[in-house]
Amino acid sequence: MADNKVIICCKCKKELIPKKVYFKYLGHSFFTDILKCPDCGEVFIPEELVKGRMAEVEMQLEDK
Amino acid sequence: MVLEMEKFKEKIKTCLQNEPAFCTAACPFRLDIHDFMPKMQRGGFNAAYRTYLNTVGFPGIVSELCHEPCKNVCPRRLKDEAIAMKHLEKAAIKYARDLNPNSYNLPPKNKKIAIIGAGISGLGCALRLASKKYNVTVFERTDRIGGHLWDVLPPEVFLADIERQFMHEKYTLNLNTEITSLDELDFDAIYVATGKGGTDFGLKPDPEGAFASDKPGVFMGGELCGRNIIEALADGLQAINAIERYIKTGNMNQPKAKDKTEILINTDLISYMKPVLPDEGEVFTQENALYEAKRCLRCSCDACVRHCDLMSYYGKYPKRIGEEVEITVNPGTLDGNGTVATRLISTCNQCGLCKGICPQEIDTGDFLLQSHRAMRGKGAMPWAFHDFWLRDMEFTNSEAAGMCKLPKGFDKSRYVFFPGCQLGASDPWYVIESYRFLREKTPDTALILGCCGAPAEWAGDEQLHEAAVAKLREDWISLGKPIAVFACPTCRQMFRKYLPEIEGIFLYNLISELGIKPSPRVNGDTVSVFDPCTTREEPELQHVIREIAEKAGFNLEPLPYEGKYAKCCSWGGQVSIANPSFTREVVKARISQNSNPYITYCINCRDIFDAAKKPVYHILDIIFGSHDKDQMLPTITQRRSNRINLKHKLLSEFWRDEAIMEQKESRIKLLITPELRQKLHKEMILETDIETVIEHCESTGRKVQIPESGHFFGHLQIGNMTYWVEYLPEDGKFNLINAYCHRMSIEEA
Repeated sequence: MADNKVIICCKCKKELIPKKVYFKYLGHSFFTDILKCPDCGEVFIPEELVKGRMAEVEMQLEDK
Repeated sequence: MVLEMEKFKEKIKTCLQNEPAFCTAACPFRLDIHDFMPKMQRGGFNAAYRTYLNTVGFPGIVSELCHEPCKNVCPRRLKDEAIAMKHLEKAAIKYARDLNPNSYNLPPKNKKIAIIGAGISGLGCALRLASKKYNVTVFERTDRIGGHLWDVLPPEVFLADIERQFMHEKYTLNLNTEITSLDELDFDAIYVATGKGGTDFGLKPDPEGAFASDKPGVFMGGELCGRNIIEALADGLQAINAIERYIKTGNMNQPKAKDKTEILINTDLISYMKPVLPDEGEVFTQENALYEAKRCLRCSCDACVRHCDLMSYYGKYPKRIGEEVEITVNPGTLDGNGTVATRLISTCNQCGLCKGICPQEIDTGDFLLQSHRAMRGKGAMPWAFHDFWLRDMEFTNSEAAGMCKLPKGFDKSRYVFFPGCQLGASDPWYVIESYRFLREKTPDTALILGCCGAPAEWAGDEQLHEAAVAKLREDWISLGKPIAVFACPTCRQMFRKYLPEIEGIFLYNLISELGIKPSPRVNGDTVSVFDPCTTREEPELQHVIREIAEKAGFNLEPLPYEGKYAKCCSWGGQVSIANPSFTREVVKARISQNSNPYITYCINCRDIFDAAKKPVYHILDIIFGSHDKDQMLPTITQRRSNRINLKHKLLSEFWRDEAIMEQKESRIKLLITPELRQKLHKEMILETDIETVIEHCESTGRKVQIPESGHFFGHLQIGNMTYWVEYLPEDGKFNLINAYCHRMSIEEA
């Protein structure tokens, strides 16, 4: 849906670029590259990622 | 709680899972029917023969001579006829590919063992010892082997079998050698099998060990000890365990094999299957054998894995569950690795059937609830499993949806109607009609709109649960301690368990008592009553429901699981988030019990079956006459607005001159397509949460945009969950394009 498309932070008017973002779930912390505003840090996560890899990781942590 | 879990661990020891089948226990050889029969049932004659061979030693002899004690204990004998084991064994021999024994290449053992008597018992012992490569010497008084076999079988039959089984084994045979004293023998161990009336060398059996005599290193068995010829062979085969134990440890105390079983089989549940017999003297055809094998019930104590949805889904018995839960609650490592049963603990519907069907009354469900509490207590249970329902409970008890009121002009009441959280959520009409009826009959009937505490109970949240129960007690006292009228069997169960001081009655019993006649509107349509699992111990209610349905003109057909065996519709324990695939399986199993429409009296059962396209009525549809209505099930968002509307409608109809609550208008006006609405419903995303996210994006400017489409994206963590929205502003409203959510949180600076 949002693949390879330009995404703009509405506040800073900057294009989002892949940058390291930290996540936390059930006491575990981990990071990955996510589209992020280079100035204010606003992020964007597409549904494909949420339903795909993120859901997988969530499930693994729940069953760990 | 720890004590409760310890009690379970004690109780689990009484589990009969590993008890043998009736036939296995009665069989002198302990032929494992769970090994033999599945092979026969799939036509694996060769594999079945190997099992048989390994168990009986001399299959040709045993299949001729066995007196079939299994037939006297087979539960099928009470229904049609016991399984024809001997015929099946003969069929296994006839259709096996290879009858020869295996040859094992083992190093020889440096131990000498003497066997006195070359009858079937001595030969059995010699065969087993020789195949383990002991140095075996058999002493026989006469000039031939076989002993008593010569009197009961043609020699060509048994001699051929003996020869075949010994084809790979070596032993020393001393014929015409009578042993008169054991002292003349220099061996590591001796097995005395001199047959019926044979010499016993003055030995006495030692009750402390199997086959043990009072002389160390000397064992005895077979017809000498009063056994029949088949038992004698079994003795010979089994004596080697005692002999090996003696050789290795010097002890004579090999435990005796168990010949009893504790399992119980409910013969009512066995369906008739015509037995098949071969023509006289002939062996089964392969087809015959397959059919006869399939009659076998493969008895074991497995009521739990057969009937409990959770145990059948995981294929695990209570013992295994106990072990896995133990290491989950008390993991061996500091970071809690190996908590294998977290999801299993959260998959229990808490229906209680496990205890009901277990002959030992092992309450696995209660153990799982205790474990859930323990996990929750230490923060080890993933919040996501119950978060939605705990928020829903909070909403039910909130100012927007909850209330506790006496009718105007009364300072106490005889009854208080407690419809529960979901009846009005499904359709406010159910609650309004019911309350209207109650107020007409007994005008002082009070009302509590609130939660019984079940979601907190199921989430293992003891604090929250205690608070909910305390609030209910307080409300009840404020109303003058009335009798509670329940529409929901789960609420009734929760009150029974945690508020036993509150007298209760079911709405349906009261309706029936106070007199309402459902006008017959159907002409003998056949339906089945689906008893909610929480009514398993409410036979009176189950009866009243059937009475009402019959009065309304329905023809009732029973379901396989009903009454005291009622099973959960999948709602119990609110497990659908933790285990969606389990939930789907449970629903599928429940609705496919038969093709009739169901009548139920728990709104959750009704709504779940309706969502799965099963024609279903709530008993109130029958009583108040709206069972023909064809209306879409409310989404989770509508279930909330229905509860708000319910409170409004009740206040305006029954407390007319009271100020109507102010309705909180949302600043955000959403435009949502029906498809997207269903998606949100399925993914349990509330539209009110979406509004909050958009409001946040718009007020803070924290959002991103794809210039190409103009769509805005933004996110917000509400409670634990992070919600994403994709939207387009349109004429002061917001066109919602998409929404989704995730459990992990973004660590934002």
